[in-house]
Amino acid sequence: MLARDFKSFFETSKRNGIILSFGGDISENVLFSLGEVLKLRMIQGETDATIAKRVFSIFVEQAQNIIRYSADKLPGAKASCGMISAGMIVVGVENARFFVVCGNEVPKADAAILHERLDHIAGMSSEELKRFYREKLRQIPDEGSLGGSIGLIEIARRSSAPVEFEFHDLGGERSLFCLKAYI
Amino acid sequence: MDRIQIPATPRSPEVDFDFTAGRFRLSGESYPEDAAAFFGPLLQSLRTHLAASGSDPIVFEVALVYFNSSSAKALMNLFMRLEDAAGDGRRVTIRWLHAEGDETIAEAGEDFASDFSHARFDLVETSQTGD
Repeated sequence: MLARDFKSFFETSKRNGIILSFGGDISENVLFSLGEVLKLRMIQGETDATIAKRVFSIFVEQAQNIIRYSADKLPGAKASCGMISAGMIVVGVENARFFVVCGNEVPKADAAILHERLDHIAGMSSEELKRFYREKLRQIPDEGSLGGSIGLIEIARRSSAPVEFEFHDLGGERSLFCLKAYI
Repeated sequence: MDRIQIPATPRSPEVDFDFTAGRFRLSGESYPEDAAAFFGPLLQSLRTHLAASGSDPIVFEVALVYFNSSSAKALMNLFMRLEDAAGDGRRVTIRWLHAEGDETIAEAGEDFASDFSHARFDLVETSQTGD
């Protein structure tokens, strides 16, 4: 059973073009290590350098969003080693295009704000995104933001299609937030 | 002020702030664990230097190959101080280095360039192999 169950898990991943998948507690060190293997995988796959940079950039922004904004944080993480937060991050190739998906729990109150922000960003042209990004760079961060408010714009700018996102009500005070970007 | 030299790590840039010579340089990768903790002291020392050192010219060179959005924010904070100093009459040159064919970094340079009107902002293309 053990190997058979995992075989189907691996095969499903492969069939979906997944080259990297991680679920669980994410720290900055985990982000760094996953990023290193992602880079190597893309070098080995002879990915175009510009595409590889975009994939890596979106991966970093998404992973840092999980670390900073996931509602599911490992308690007791010392300030010196930073936050440790639960979520999932998946990188794969679909119809010859890379994609990066992340998912994490967010407080319901944050979900509404995030939804609004993403609606705004997803409706922008690349020229508008560029202008919005520059505007945000010069501003002080949004309240409650750890300086990552431009992270979402960065993700949208590096994407080749509007970002897809969804919120799923988990009951209680939380929603599951998922974001998918195509490169 | 004492020169600040910090070696590069795989995720944070090499820093060389030579206050006496008026030469500043950041190079390498930049997505530090905590961008505010990394860049905060650098911003502070640049501010102190600008306030104290009269009008000696400054050359600030950026040769980053990748930086995340938190680092972009920090760069903007450094640049705003430099632009202000240039507005006050100091000769300030920012040299933004990007490897040939690296559209991402070149485009980022263009983004930043539009915020300068007093400081000089040079986009410098380098060969693939070095800078």
